[in-house]
Amino acid sequence: MLHTRIEPGEIPVIHLEGEIDLDSVETFRWVISDAIRGASEAVVDFTGVTFIDSSGTGLLVRFCLDYKAQGVQLRLRNIPPVVDDVFSMLKVRALVGDDAFLDQ
Amino acid sequence: MNTRPEDTPATLQVMRYDARRGTLSVIVGDPADVPREILARRAVEAMRARSFICHTTDDDALLGADEICFIPRADRCEIVSIHTNGWHRHHGDHRRSLVEILNDLAAAVARGTLSFLDGEEIAALAAEGTELFACTIDGPASLRQARAAVAQVLEQHGVGQDTRRRMELCVSEATTNVLVHGGGGGTMRLRLVGDRLRAVVADSGPGLNFMNWTEEAGGVYQPSMGYGYKIILDNLARVYLHTGSEGTTLVLDRTI
Repeated sequence: MLHTRIEPGEIPVIHLEGEIDLDSVETFRWVISDAIRGASEAVVDFTGVTFIDSSGTGLLVRFCLDYKAQGVQLRLRNIPPVVDDVFSMLKVRALVGDDAFLDQ
Repeated sequence: MNTRPEDTPATLQVMRYDARRGTLSVIVGDPADVPREILARRAVEAMRARSFICHTTDDDALLGADEICFIPRADRCEIVSIHTNGWHRHHGDHRRSLVEILNDLAAAVARGTLSFLDGEEIAALAAEGTELFACTIDGPASLRQARAAVAQVLEQHGVGQDTRRRMELCVSEATTNVLVHGGGGGTMRLRLVGDRLRAVVADSGPGLNFMNWTEEAGGVYQPSMGYGYKIILDNLARVYLHTGSEGTTLVLDRTI
């Protein structure tokens, strides 16, 4: 189960809480698309994420790269160890660039 | 009507040369038209050299494979080949290439993490030990149930959080594969075999089609292609795989 909340603003913040897997990947896809509409930058806050797998990570990488190609920056912050572990396994920093990561 | 190369699914073929018997058997893939003599000769060369040998080739004599790897073991040689059938990533595509995936699989075979087994061998492994838990994988909600079962069993055996999380992740990836590539349903069973927790994840789908790892499936983009198996192979001590037209079975072992 994935709970999401969008904090509106010039740079919207997407707060995530719960698990990101095949069951919730559509929610993940929808909330990012919705939050970033019309913005030139958005932040994804992973504070409450307790699980992520390759489905969620793959979608995130795709979003980061696709939006970057359109001149829109998606930045990631407050990555908990359980998520960072998977990002390390899949070399997410190398794929999306260090500049996508805030405060780490 | 001519079939374009890109319409043909990418395929994996796994063969085994038995040095004692001098025979070559097909473990995964179509056994027809395998140039057994040539492959056996190359397998013997790899065993003599005691060296992993990898050919990147369009040589038809070697099955027309894009890449073929010979992995010598004590009494046999595993032969892993992939046919991409002309599939290539387009510019800017972050997905893993088929040859990258094959290299990971071949390297995992070489270091002893991954074994490709035939149907009888995998069935014997799947029956070993004592069953602790079984569930049906019939939808995305099943993934959570599978992870929770792994977490509970490992916690009961006093396994640390880091190991628990990694095993949960691997089982989640395997059960996700059942839903995405395995015909949409299957089973997950947990067994205790000595000091190992064994997860047996099985489906009766059409078998692994490696093109599914790189293409949009049914018009829905599957962003995880190839990464799930990377996670599984990087985090487990032993992985056994059988795939064929009757389905796919993955056996995941982790010492607890």
